[in-house]
Amino acid sequence: MANTPVPHGDAEAHRKHTNPVLVFGILTIATIFEVVVTLFHLPQNVIVPILLAVAFVKAGLVAAYYMHLRYEKWIYTAIFITPALFAVFLIFTLAM
Amino acid sequence: MNQTTLAPRPISAEAVHANENRKFGMWLFLSSELLIFAGLIGAFVLTRRTAFQNGLEWWEPNAFSLALVSVNTFILLASSLMVVLGIEAIRVNDQRKLRRYLILTAILGAMFLGGQAVEYSLLIFEEGHSFADPFGSAFFTLTGIHGLHVFVGVIWCLVTLMVARRGTFSSYNYTTVEIFGLYWHFVDLIWVIIFTVVYLTN
Repeated sequence: MANTPVPHGDAEAHRKHTNPVLVFGILTIATIFEVVVTLFHLPQNVIVPILLAVAFVKAGLVAAYYMHLRYEKWIYTAIFITPALFAVFLIFTLAM
Repeated sequence: MNQTTLAPRPISAEAVHANENRKFGMWLFLSSELLIFAGLIGAFVLTRRTAFQNGLEWWEPNAFSLALVSVNTFILLASSLMVVLGIEAIRVNDQRKLRRYLILTAILGAMFLGGQAVEYSLLIFEEGHSFADPFGSAFFTLTGIHGLHVFVGVIWCLVTLMVARRGTFSSYNYTTVEIFGLYWHFVDLIWVIIFTVVYLTN
């Protein structure tokens, strides 16, 4: 059984992926939104949480759809989410 | 010889298992990298806060700097898309498209580094920043280490391209490309945070 030819491990799981161009479009629009928001010179305690929230959503999109965490085994998500939560907590705490 | 017409050759169950282990190892590596960058971003934010509290000089990006770094961000996001499309191509055994997207990824990565070099030269030679001032030490350390990651990514991309030119990858065997892709997307993900924290939340 060990040498039985098989297809790539997760080829089946990758069949119905979200369109990567759509994800790229969302990331680009979110980036433009971030830059435009800074031009309004809103108070720091208003603008920083908005910008950080958008940035973390963008990072989440990259991880979920480009790094395929949404379609991968749960263990990969667990490995990556654990330090990510720490990172989000650290950056939010220090930046606010 | 057109490699896209070659029939893919299945790999053994052992090789599939080995590929899974390689991916697992890559995710462990990326999680440790995430902690390194969390520390660096945290140090940048803390240095900035301390500088403000002590009335020290801090850099604020002008319109040109913001435009330059915004274009650079777009370039890195586009390079990530190229990697995704390259992996999509090899999943259907289109090796020619994979090579094309890897070339585009390397070019976009090099363009990002070029943009960063322009930004550094402006900061150092026109605005007089260096590692000696609080902003320079925090900024150059954080963005420099990220830039080093992009540089490593470009080299890795070119090595992957050379392997792809030999026709090694197929719809059955593309974990090496996937692992490179994970690294490249991670570098992109980190830049998304750096862009906001360093340039937009001043």
